[in-house]
Amino acid sequence: MTLLRLQEIFKDFSGLQVLFGISLDVTEGERHAIIGPNGAGKSTLFNLITGLYKPSSGNIFFSDKDITGWPVHRIARTGISRSFQVINIFPEMTLFENVRNAIVSKVNRRFNWGSLLNRSEDIQEESDRIIELIGLTDVRDSPVSELSYGKQRQLELALTLARDPVLIMLDEPTAGLDSEETRAFVQLIKQVTEKKTLVVVEHDMDVVFDLADRITVINYGKVLATGSPDEIRENEEVKEAYLGGK
Amino acid sequence: MTVSIYVIQAMHGLVYGMLLFLVASGLTLVFGMMGVLNLAHAAFYMLGAYFAYTVTVHLGNFWLSLIVAPLMVGVLGVLIERFLLRKAHKGGHVAELLLTFGVFYVLTECVRLIWGSNPLPVPVPPILTGDIPFMGMTYPIYRLFILLFSAIILTGMALLLMRTRIGILVRAAVSDGEMVDALGTNVPVLFMGVFGGGAALAALAGVIAAPFLSVFPGMGLDALLDCFVVIVIGGFGSLFGAFIAALMIGELQSFGILWIPRLAMVFQFLLMVIVLIVRPTGLLGEKE
Amino acid sequence: MMSYRAFQTGWGGLVALFLLFLPMIVPEMKIHLATEILIFALFGISFNLLLGYTGLLPFGYAALFGVGAYAAALMFNHLPGTPLVVTLLIAALAGLLTAIFIGSFCVRLRGTYFALLTLAFQMFLYTVAMKWRDVTNGDDGMGVIRPEIDLPGFGNLSLMNINNLYYVTLLIVVLGILAAYLFLKTPLGNAVICMRENDERASFLGYNVFLTKLTVFSFAGFLAGAAGGLFVLFQEFVSTTTIDVHMSFTIVLMVIIGGKDRFLGPVIGATFFLLFQDWISDVTVYWWLFMGLFFIVVVLYLEGGLISLLNLDRVWLWVNRQEK
Repeated sequence: MTLLRLQEIFKDFSGLQVLFGISLDVTEGERHAIIGPNGAGKSTLFNLITGLYKPSSGNIFFSDKDITGWPVHRIARTGISRSFQVINIFPEMTLFENVRNAIVSKVNRRFNWGSLLNRSEDIQEESDRIIELIGLTDVRDSPVSELSYGKQRQLELALTLARDPVLIMLDEPTAGLDSEETRAFVQLIKQVTEKKTLVVVEHDMDVVFDLADRITVINYGKVLATGSPDEIRENEEVKEAYLGGK
Repeated sequence: MTVSIYVIQAMHGLVYGMLLFLVASGLTLVFGMMGVLNLAHAAFYMLGAYFAYTVTVHLGNFWLSLIVAPLMVGVLGVLIERFLLRKAHKGGHVAELLLTFGVFYVLTECVRLIWGSNPLPVPVPPILTGDIPFMGMTYPIYRLFILLFSAIILTGMALLLMRTRIGILVRAAVSDGEMVDALGTNVPVLFMGVFGGGAALAALAGVIAAPFLSVFPGMGLDALLDCFVVIVIGGFGSLFGAFIAALMIGELQSFGILWIPRLAMVFQFLLMVIVLIVRPTGLLGEKE
Repeated sequence: MMSYRAFQTGWGGLVALFLLFLPMIVPEMKIHLATEILIFALFGISFNLLLGYTGLLPFGYAALFGVGAYAAALMFNHLPGTPLVVTLLIAALAGLLTAIFIGSFCVRLRGTYFALLTLAFQMFLYTVAMKWRDVTNGDDGMGVIRPEIDLPGFGNLSLMNINNLYYVTLLIVVLGILAAYLFLKTPLGNAVICMRENDERASFLGYNVFLTKLTVFSFAGFLAGAAGGLFVLFQEFVSTTTIDVHMSFTIVLMVIIGGKDRFLGPVIGATFFLLFQDWISDVTVYWWLFMGLFFIVVVLYLEGGLISLLNLDRVWLWVNRQEK
């Protein structure tokens, strides 16, 4: 069943056209990678789906609900979560506090002024569960500014997963990691996104072919091709435009 | 007969609008170039007016203040940028805002201590006193002088920015500061220059405004709020936008006083609200 | 070896005792000053909920204080039989409602725009206060008579006695500050701090940034309004000075000088400012200028404010060393 559908999405920024009619389907449970050269419009697409931008025209459907134009927080609560290419965490808090922020939102206690956060055991426990899931229990109480880049990337992932989203969107999750870290991270991603739907933007082709069930190639704001990894590998247009004929 | 009244009011509005632009231009350039809304800028305008008072009343020559005031305030501006603002920049936007607010307040307080809290009258220079007949009524010569003088200054500014190398650098820095830096220009010196120049311009506006508006310690704050509206409507860093907006506001206030005098003081506020309704995206901005 | 916890509690206890027995330690003239300090401490704490904890700098904050002051004054003068608690609650509510109104316009904005737009709203309210002479008596202001408090079983408590006023103020201010402190420990308080850290990520986690900021702004307004009401009670007078730029700047000054990064910073700031004013303003007319310059120095060289100099850790270490 189609979880996410983009229908003829156009986006321009004060005259600068970035997306020219993108249509895309993501099936429930699949791992879908979006690749394309820099400037192709991948991040814009992410921002559109998650509500930061509104499409100039076109519609976005999530579980058959039209979420076009919904505000960011509403989309987040509907079950779509995203990570950021540039680490986007809460800089002055500890790792635990970072994850806890997400959990408070998950249990809908964002406006709760009648209880003390430090005494809310369910929130504490759930936060620890997520931290353990990602494998960061040993640095639970470290200020995030003291964490290595690799661990910060893991936190980025943790924040994205904390709300138990239905659709997980990762924007270049391995950016800046060396090959050793990348391999481990991809394993982690596979582990924690089992049975979930995943959309990944990536530049590292090894990661893409390792993770993805289906790939969409975007070039100059248009969909160039969609298909299985093998189909994409064989696709002439794609090879020319992107893979450089490898 | 009533047509003349409207024209006269329109002229008043034009005069105030031009003055407002003179003050706001420096502010918007600094904002565009350095990303900081310098609240002390309105104090430069106020200082210009007070220097005009002292020079005119104690040295007997209004015209001298046209040179003295911008010069002294310009130097002050450069010193403030170099020693205070630059340090605050490292602390982030909040620190910059607090610093410029602090400087604004200290300057206002200094003015109050030196010249007192009462409004000071600055006499119009003898050559420019009186009215001339205009459309069946009379119009004060001094206001025409303000218009003329402002126009000259503005033309000079436009030429400077469009034709000279420095001007082009400034405009480039407003659009893309990093690029200018990469091209080898001494950005800190450029900043000091623009800051000082803007201050001098504001002081100049203060000097010519002095005989025409009241000179009192609160004039800085009034100017500040008006300037803020101008910049928000006109766009940050946009001189042309500031020009249009300043004239618009000048006319609005002029006619506002005519139609609903009791609410005249409230107009600044109404403009703020209008700004919010008209340009909410201008203030929020999509993250591009 | 004393634990840090015990040390903190001990220290807190000393301060509490000091405040409770102040009227017996210090001459009556200084109790006036102490009362004023308490009021501005509450005002400052509420301001810092916005600046230090939400990351919003409202230049026009006096609007909320002044509205509370005028609300209280009107109650005292037109409905003098009303119990004090009710009047102060109304002052606080006036602050709350004004904050909701102003906040709904301003809270979406960032930094500079937020600061200046709140200033514009405050200027508007100042103008209203100046012009609406029928109600506010403009800049001449209105005198207010302190009511008596009717304590069942104890008789009437006259607030003309400065000690009584001091204790009543102390009680309310402590309650207000406690409320602010506890607020920050709730999930909502945590949400507010998230906004300061990274409101973009917060919204991607499902937080409604606008509503959250509006809520804290309103709560701050509630406390500021209460402080305004207490101020009128203290001064026995209200005028446009409670709602002008000078008042706005005063509270900015106090909080920054005291320290915006720690909860009690504003209390230190209010104490320092008012003590200094009391001490110096008779000596020289330039004291406001000194304050302004000191403010600039703090902004540039001491961002944590005076409270960052008060390092209890060092005292604790010293105390422990003595015990050996």
